[in-house]
Amino acid sequence: MLPEVLRREPLIAGPLTAAALDEQVLSYPERRPPRAWFLAFAFTASVMCLGFALIGYTVYEGIGVWGNNRPVGWAFDIINFVFWIGIGHAGTLISAILLLFRARWRNAIARYAEAMTIFAVMTAGIFPAIHVGRPWLDFWLFPYPNQRGLWPNFRSPLMWDVFAVSTYFAVSLLFWYIGLLPDLASLRGRAKTRLRQIAYTVLSLGWRGTPEQWRHYEKAYVILAGLATGLVLSVHSVVSFDFATSLVPGWHMTIFPPYFVVGAIFAGFAMVVLVLSNVRRLMGIENLITMRHLELCNKVILGCSCLMGYSYLCEAFTAWYSMNPYIHHTFLQYVTGTYGWAGWLAVVCNVAVPQVLWSQRVRRSIPAMIGVALCVTAGMWFERFVIIVISLHHDFLPSAWHVYKPTMVDIGILLGSFGFFFTLVLLFARVLPVVATTEVKATLPGAQPEGVTHG
Amino acid sequence: MAEPIEPDLSRREFLGVLGASAALAAGCSRPDRGEIVPFDKRPAGARPGNADLYASAFQEGLSAYGVLVKTREGRPIHVQGNDKHPSCAGKTSLRAMADIMGLYDPGRLRRPLVKGRPASWDQARGRLLSDLLGARAERRPVLLMTNALLSPTRRALVAALGKALPGLKHAVREPACGGAEAAALKACYGDARRPRLRLDRAKVMLALEVELLSGDRPEEIKGFAANRGEGSMSRLYAFEAGMSLTGANADHRVPWKPSRAAALGFALARALHQSGRPLPAGVADSVLAGFDLEALAKEQGADPALLRALAEDLKRAGSSALVVAGPALPPQAHAAAFLLNTMLGAEGSTVDASISPPAEELAGDEESSRFLLEAAQGRFAAAVFWGVNPAYAFPDAALWDSSAAAIPLKARIGRTLDETARACDIVLPEHHWLESWNDFEPSSDLLLLQQPAVAPLYDTRQGDDVLLDLLRGLGGGAPLDYRSYLMERWRREVQPASSLLPFERFWSSALHDGALRREAASRPPRRLDGAAVTKLARQTGAPAASGFELILSPGANVFDGRYADNGWLQELPDPVTKLSWGNAVCVSPADAVRLGLADGDIVELSAGGVEVELPAVVQPGQAPGTLGAALGYGRRAGSVAAGVGVNLFPMLAGSGAAGLLLPDTELQKTGCRTALPFIQRHHKMEGRDIARSITLAKSRQPRLTHSKDLATLYPPRKFPKHKWAMAVDLSLCTGCQACAVSCQSENNVPVVGAERVLEGREMHWLRVDRYYEGPAENPKVLLQPMMCQQCDDAPCETVCPVAATNHSDEGLNQMAYNRCVGTRYCANNCPYKVRRFNFFEYNAQTPESRRLAFNPEVTVRPRGVMEKCTFCVQRIQEAKAAARSAGRALRDGDIEPACAAACPAGAIVFGDLKDPASRVSRLAARGRGYRVLEELGVKPSVTYLADLSNPAGDRDAS
Repeated sequence: MLPEVLRREPLIAGPLTAAALDEQVLSYPERRPPRAWFLAFAFTASVMCLGFALIGYTVYEGIGVWGNNRPVGWAFDIINFVFWIGIGHAGTLISAILLLFRARWRNAIARYAEAMTIFAVMTAGIFPAIHVGRPWLDFWLFPYPNQRGLWPNFRSPLMWDVFAVSTYFAVSLLFWYIGLLPDLASLRGRAKTRLRQIAYTVLSLGWRGTPEQWRHYEKAYVILAGLATGLVLSVHSVVSFDFATSLVPGWHMTIFPPYFVVGAIFAGFAMVVLVLSNVRRLMGIENLITMRHLELCNKVILGCSCLMGYSYLCEAFTAWYSMNPYIHHTFLQYVTGTYGWAGWLAVVCNVAVPQVLWSQRVRRSIPAMIGVALCVTAGMWFERFVIIVISLHHDFLPSAWHVYKPTMVDIGILLGSFGFFFTLVLLFARVLPVVATTEVKATLPGAQPEGVTHG
Repeated sequence: MAEPIEPDLSRREFLGVLGASAALAAGCSRPDRGEIVPFDKRPAGARPGNADLYASAFQEGLSAYGVLVKTREGRPIHVQGNDKHPSCAGKTSLRAMADIMGLYDPGRLRRPLVKGRPASWDQARGRLLSDLLGARAERRPVLLMTNALLSPTRRALVAALGKALPGLKHAVREPACGGAEAAALKACYGDARRPRLRLDRAKVMLALEVELLSGDRPEEIKGFAANRGEGSMSRLYAFEAGMSLTGANADHRVPWKPSRAAALGFALARALHQSGRPLPAGVADSVLAGFDLEALAKEQGADPALLRALAEDLKRAGSSALVVAGPALPPQAHAAAFLLNTMLGAEGSTVDASISPPAEELAGDEESSRFLLEAAQGRFAAAVFWGVNPAYAFPDAALWDSSAAAIPLKARIGRTLDETARACDIVLPEHHWLESWNDFEPSSDLLLLQQPAVAPLYDTRQGDDVLLDLLRGLGGGAPLDYRSYLMERWRREVQPASSLLPFERFWSSALHDGALRREAASRPPRRLDGAAVTKLARQTGAPAASGFELILSPGANVFDGRYADNGWLQELPDPVTKLSWGNAVCVSPADAVRLGLADGDIVELSAGGVEVELPAVVQPGQAPGTLGAALGYGRRAGSVAAGVGVNLFPMLAGSGAAGLLLPDTELQKTGCRTALPFIQRHHKMEGRDIARSITLAKSRQPRLTHSKDLATLYPPRKFPKHKWAMAVDLSLCTGCQACAVSCQSENNVPVVGAERVLEGREMHWLRVDRYYEGPAENPKVLLQPMMCQQCDDAPCETVCPVAATNHSDEGLNQMAYNRCVGTRYCANNCPYKVRRFNFFEYNAQTPESRRLAFNPEVTVRPRGVMEKCTFCVQRIQEAKAAARSAGRALRDGDIEPACAAACPAGAIVFGDLKDPASRVSRLAARGRGYRVLEELGVKPSVTYLADLSNPAGDRDAS
């Protein structure tokens, strides 16, 4: 046995049997949710409806109801897109990369994080669709055979986005769904009402849990994890190409792909902490999603925060070292111009505040970690504001410079996107098992051979 | 053998289904927009789909220009200069181009009104005529108030009316033109004829508080541009309070108080006299003794060496010198300018009064006040207000109100229900000038003919026809319509006796040309009255007032307010402040610091007991202690004009006789603020190499910059036949913005309104950027027209996901509006920011009548679509088609984009780079040619030629 100090904290708090675990997790969708769930759902759903109503208004009136102007052609629309795509990254990282690294602590939180990935990508997907001037022609961005012989422009980074995001969504959805199959089958087995029986029967795709099925399942799961791993790195890299391959000073930077990927994982983990720290309490699964899980997430946040700081320094160094007057000017605008406050907000929220996570007490304090996660979420949103709005509002010809002011519609749609995301998160908790029971069973005491110390 | 297929439907059922599906299809398709009736027999000469050009003429204020009106299927769609007008040669005032909007103004009156009720012409005319007959019987006077007539025939008509109605008092008002110059001319020459300024002959120019280079002075811009190249370079000195385009283009600009302009003139005269130039007869040299250049320089904070250099330059230039004083300056300053021109021998050379037509007697504010006072006392039996808008522009509103109340019958001849029309009993709707006949005499060797380019759109009549009708009613024998009246006068007086042509041939050839050149009656050269100059010089002294000197000038675009209803002109920014949709008072940076003012602070101006509140703009280069503001805003009526800006005419009531210069104005901060719709909001180049300016001496050195083709991954583009390109000579460009108006008209560019301008969503395809470099007290101004640069490696093209913007094999960066989904990525990636996005369905707000002004050759863009300059691709295609049908190759100069066609300076040249002999190829290869942001590797097709300046003391130049 390892000495006490070196022994790892168990991944499950307290004694738990496989049956008790099933009962704890799988009974949840069968019960009537608590009042708090209804209240939360009513709130998020109304915010979501507000957002969709404003989107309808935008489609009816035109992009003019937003604050976008010339030179700031993109603003909240693309900020929100990049922000939400970023949020998705933690889920894929947890479920795929940590799976390949055999970090078993992921098992308890992977399901929820993956669901958040899917919902975040769905939320993100709204924005490219509605940000165009004529959204009813969005389908022109897809390469489909047509009698006009017209194809999209494969040199355009927006085109790459279409492929990157749709691939990401497809792979994430498959990965998540395949992971759900055993649990869906368990739910089917437990279902009492006819409706549930039918629904879970259809959804579980005939899963019987035979060794043959398990073999295929494990293979498919690892293959998809391999695919998803590549996507974690590629999707936000491609999103960053929207900026990096352009001419705009402040966008045209080679550091963008890794910088965006780190930022995405950073923001994603902050969202995971934000959601799970609440969910575990509300759903009474503190024994499954333990303080250790949250602390590990916080460590990832801390690491990413340091990398963000490095990226910011790198950007500043590049701006200075390039001797490019346009980039010099743009970078100065990040910290001193009209929106200099946004630049400092991003630095403080993303680099300074998360440094408190060096302290274990903070890492294990729920209010503190929620505070840090909120800061990171706001900071990462503003980081995209800095990159997109500040870079655009002062580009090459000073005669064209203009400030940007968001309208109430912009803000309403941003809020609506949060409403949409959290509504989906709540619905998920209502109808599907939020913890992968089969995977958690692998971390139950005694499920794995214990390490034996010799001598 | 297969069995024949038995249809399930009977023939009857089939027809039923067919009918139903046809009805369904019709129901689903777009609604029928109207009946289409083909020509049964095509009218002679009508070629549907081809544009026709009609020569006509446009008058505003004291100027008239020959124009060509482009019509399509009978509707005027574009106005350009008439090349038969010799001094303007194909160029015209920007307002002539913009006023096509006036023709289609939805606010135009469509039928007469009597007491505000629609009436027939017979009723309205009968009412007016009976009152005029009554007035004649009672021997009571009748007031006729008009704008400057400028037309010999119209003048004859008014004279004839005066004969038939002996009590007719005619007052001519041009409220924004000022009367000081006419007063000075009258005093010093005995005749108020305004000489023509021959800037083309001038080598050294001194502009005293005068705007010579704005878009309504094509003649002066053209003359100025003649001497602004490497071959021949003039030198322009500008002494002015506010920053004008003249100052912006000057080689030396000195902020100078207007009250001291006269002193400067006399001091220069003294310096010239001391260096041996004789004074004209009657001018005592003792009178100049008090004027000393050194002392003045010290007083105004100017460089004395510069004033000495100016005196030296003027002396050296002699008869090629030109001194001009502005309309806001007092008569003393004008007299000083006359004196200088006479001493230098410029009279008869750069100042040419020999062919000036007789000056119109303008009724200044004082004289008009006298009329209105009489009216207020009930002296007049009736009044006719034709064109002028005293209810808006008369400074003393209380006097206007009381006189309007006391005139028993007021008739209005005008186009819209404006402020004056609202105060009148009878409103007679008038033709637009594009529906009218007339002639104008800009100089005594030239007559311009105005002819209708379209049949009257509404039940309106030409103002002259109304007068003619009254003349007939009053018993004066006259033809039935003004056209016959005009022709008759031409037959009688204009056709030279020596002409052997039958009159009809003579007339139709004059109509075809729109201009008739004739022998000017020779007049003896005018002589400067030395005694008058002496008298005025004696009255010149330092001002005692402690307040600000405020100069009011006609709005650069809206003039005296008569164009305030024109959206194009409202949205077109002031050429210097770049403020659109309204006016503001310009304050010097030093005064702004002292008073704690920033752009948009509302201030209260007060002078002579009149107080007006308006926003302030901190204007670099404004002389401390001076203010400047534009007239013509703050209209109370008009669908576009109402409520835009602040009416400053009431300030003139406080100026007394001083005209447009208010020597003692107080300015107070109110503490309120407003957002100003600037088209350009950042004014410095931030050390970037954007608009270049070099001195003449430097331009003669070997080329300093070498453009190098940057490495690229893409193969070079191939242009098999043509490579369209443009060259813009910044040395010739004065920043007048005529190009922008022409572009707006040619390309159906929408107007978005002040609110959208504030949001940064203006749609101009071509803008003129203005940068200030150097100290804010007196910066150097750089002006640069900026349009799509049609880059060979266009950054917009690679990023469009649907390939809506792509490259033609003739070097054009094209937009397929149909294909555009509106991601706006292209606009983000455009380093020149010339792409414009339709944030709303702008044309949904375009009134039906204004849609008639659309150019059918240019797509009207829907919402959600990106648009930008196309190099007027429709004109390229038209010229190619014309060349093909003529069986010849395209020639250099066949294609003129709207901007190039309108540029009075000829600064914009378009052509084919594949043709090494084309003008654009030669200009692009010039030493001072460069491409903006060339270092980005986008390979723009527009070459800018660096601005040349010719400062005094510039080595090996001058």
